[in-house]
Amino acid sequence: MRYQNATAYRFLAPYLLIFSIFWLWPIISSFLISFQATRTVPWRFAPTFNWGRLIGDPAFFNALKNTLLILVIQVPVMITLAIVMAVLLNSPLLKARGLFRFAFFAPVVVGEVAYSAVFRLMFNLDYGIINKLLNSIGLPRIDWFSNVTPAMAVIMIAVTWRWAGYNAIILLAGLQSIPQDVYEAATLDRVSKLKQFFYITLPLLKPIIVFCAVLSIIGTMQLFTEPFLITERGGPGGGTETLGLLLYRQGFRSLNFGYASAIAYTMAGLAIAISLVQLWLTREPK
Amino acid sequence: MAAVTLKNVVKRFGVFEIVHGANIDVEDGEFVVFVGPSGCGKSTLLRMIAGLEDISGGEIAIGGKLVNDVEPADRGIAMVFQSYALYPHMSVEQNLSFGLRMNGNPKADTERRVKRAAKILRIAELMKRRPRQLSGGQRQRVAIGRAIVREPQVFLFDEPLSNLDAELRVQMRVEISRLHKELGVTMIYVTHDQTEAMTLADRIVVLNAGNIEQIGAPLDLYDDPANRFVAGFVGSPKMNFLAAQVVGNDGDATVVELANHGGTRLRKPLSGAPPAVGAEVVLGVRPEHFFDTGEGDCDIAVKADVAEHLGSVSYIYANAGPEELIIEREASRQRASGDHMVVSIKAGRSLLFDKSGARIR
Repeated sequence: MRYQNATAYRFLAPYLLIFSIFWLWPIISSFLISFQATRTVPWRFAPTFNWGRLIGDPAFFNALKNTLLILVIQVPVMITLAIVMAVLLNSPLLKARGLFRFAFFAPVVVGEVAYSAVFRLMFNLDYGIINKLLNSIGLPRIDWFSNVTPAMAVIMIAVTWRWAGYNAIILLAGLQSIPQDVYEAATLDRVSKLKQFFYITLPLLKPIIVFCAVLSIIGTMQLFTEPFLITERGGPGGGTETLGLLLYRQGFRSLNFGYASAIAYTMAGLAIAISLVQLWLTREPK
Repeated sequence: MAAVTLKNVVKRFGVFEIVHGANIDVEDGEFVVFVGPSGCGKSTLLRMIAGLEDISGGEIAIGGKLVNDVEPADRGIAMVFQSYALYPHMSVEQNLSFGLRMNGNPKADTERRVKRAAKILRIAELMKRRPRQLSGGQRQRVAIGRAIVREPQVFLFDEPLSNLDAELRVQMRVEISRLHKELGVTMIYVTHDQTEAMTLADRIVVLNAGNIEQIGAPLDLYDDPANRFVAGFVGSPKMNFLAAQVVGNDGDATVVELANHGGTRLRKPLSGAPPAVGAEVVLGVRPEHFFDTGEGDCDIAVKADVAEHLGSVSYIYANAGPEELIIEREASRQRASGDHMVVSIKAGRSLLFDKSGARIR
């Protein structure tokens, strides 16, 4: 048995080696770096330098506030939309289901830069289709990128557009795993379709909804592309700067790796904490 | 309670006709079993009665009222599904009361009905459990309980025991039979297991490829099947079929020669018109209707292939040329593979079918 184990580990060795060098070591290393002052040469061990700065840094709290705001508004809206899309996709009345499934999933496949550019154009003050539409129904134009609230809204709309379909496909798989005869039993029990949705579909879909919510929380905590490209590095005036963007700014523009590492660990810690709370709140009763 | 009437009921899926004009009269309080092989249309027929499948043609009436276009919930029926179809996220109690609660039934009445169902099915101690915490038999009881609380006119069972092990199946069979006596309501039960059909039914409807082959009391089907399909389907182990040819007609009897038994002849009295001389026919003999040498009207020699000794009875799987026969013998423990034996057939205990499978009486 011991010989068999040794053989197995020999086969696993190349993977474990690569995993350790490029995955495990950076995780440990960045954790260690977060306890070092990295703006001096050589770096010196200063446990409270970065973490202490984090607690009192208005830029960090601004980024945290923006990230949490997106999380609190965009994630529930997107998950709700994804559930609606999944239910529609699952409807026997829907024709060309494959086409719709592809269409809903397609935004994930589109390149981030291309989609961000398109969103910038769509929300352009003078030429954007959104303002033209608003004008056509008698509403005033909105300067989407010069004010914080509209800029934030654009980011939330963009992220929702990109990921709602992806979540809908996951939820669709969950919907299709609910046995049809449960609905038939409810039909015989004179339970309306709406009540079937709230009393049968949603409770049975809960584990999948939680899974999607946790994935979305993790994604939103790392949000970078949209505020970087669509609202031009978290503009206006840092109004849409997220933790991901702050990390990038500190790590790769100011080359302050220690502080960036502390931000990274804070982001990961928050994602884990929020996900755990979510899992605890939606746990199955024993 | 209510009678159920099916008149020329047809079901088509696209261009494929699955049920070809079914005519069935289920009497008030009767226990009728639809039985047949997989794909014969028995479940489709049941689902059409429930309203879960549209009817392509014909009429279905429950309690004298035409229900073709009536919603499933308004037909006065309750259905027990093969997979139980319990709500997995609800307790047993919630499963039982769900339909009533959703329809605003008074709380006191809901509680009364749930308690009654729990008492009838002896599941009172399981009320707080979830379906996943129950055994197969317990789940099936809850599924039946959910039907009981609706206080329906007609119970529909769609292969309710197929997911249970053999022992539990027998136990639940008895329970369902007891339930029918206790409630006295009309029950329609679908199964592919002819033993279930024989033991539960007041009347059996035998279906094959969307056609009703025969309707009758279990023993009537066993003793007097309308055709070769029913003869072969009803009874376990199944009836043996021996190829034969009519070699002569003798007054009120026909003489057949068994094709694979060295010219052995049997004189078979008939009540109807005899088949033409030279016609190919099939002689049906049930496993328990093979007798000791010389006791019947003709003897045939066979070679035992496999012998199954069940204690009180033995089944000998024997070969006679290309034909495989199952012979039931009481206290025949000495028989073993490879044994040569001679068994006897009585004309009065055999059935004759023509080439198409129709009975020759």
